[in-house]
Amino acid sequence: MDIDVTQSSGVAVLSPRGDLDMATVHDVRRALSSIFDRGQSRLLIDLNAVAYIDSSGMGTLIAAMKQARAAGGDVRLCGLQDDVRAIFEMTRVVQAMSIHPTRQEALASWR
Amino acid sequence: MTPNPEGSTFSMTSEAEHLLRLRKWLREVLAGHGVPKQDQPNLLLAVGELCANSIQHAYEGRGGQPITVSVRSSGNSVVIEVEDFGKPFDADRYESPNLEAVPESGYGIFLVKTIADSLSIDVARERGTRWTMVKYLPGRLPAATPGGAATP
Repeated sequence: MDIDVTQSSGVAVLSPRGDLDMATVHDVRRALSSIFDRGQSRLLIDLNAVAYIDSSGMGTLIAAMKQARAAGGDVRLCGLQDDVRAIFEMTRVVQAMSIHPTRQEALASWR
Repeated sequence: MTPNPEGSTFSMTSEAEHLLRLRKWLREVLAGHGVPKQDQPNLLLAVGELCANSIQHAYEGRGGQPITVSVRSSGNSVVIEVEDFGKPFDADRYESPNLEAVPESGYGIFLVKTIADSLSIDVARERGTRWTMVKYLPGRLPAATPGGAATP
């Protein structure tokens, strides 16, 4: 899975492209580990280019959120397509994670 | 794609990289069986979760093992079956996820039960599990039986 990683005012922004499922989740885990290993704990995952996510993908994001919060930061999400948002709503994870419509609003939430 | 009245079947082996190909196939087949576009994504998810469950639990991560997905129409519904030949699903050991605790795993079967209108599990076989999901097509929910109990 292709994952762009950029920085914006101390926030690591990850932009995966494609389907986030059991087959591609290890790519996301690797990217997240790399960021945590650098000591960063503020992450934004922009899912604008992700059309499908399964429970293993969502679980990876939850695990990252917990790890980031334990370090005083957070993993926030933005750009969820309706089909992707559905799994977060069915499992009520939408209530536990900070999810924003756009990257701009998500980055602003940290200021 | 015109649906085969006897149904359509997809065969894969227990490697996660086949799930993408499964979804491509399933999108076309569901459309052919009259599943509205807005209902297709959740069914893709449910089938994906069952196949992932087969890969991870029935086959315990071993590759090269068979999984089949079949889709057929049945009156007012579409019926989807996912079958594996590995370790049978043990309903007695299954626990629904505690959603309040926001766990990192364990959502698969919960999602399938949430999405399907009915779900049956057949482990009374020589080996493996056959999951049968039924999704009623819009405007064609089954009538309530006399006495008030709706089926299924």
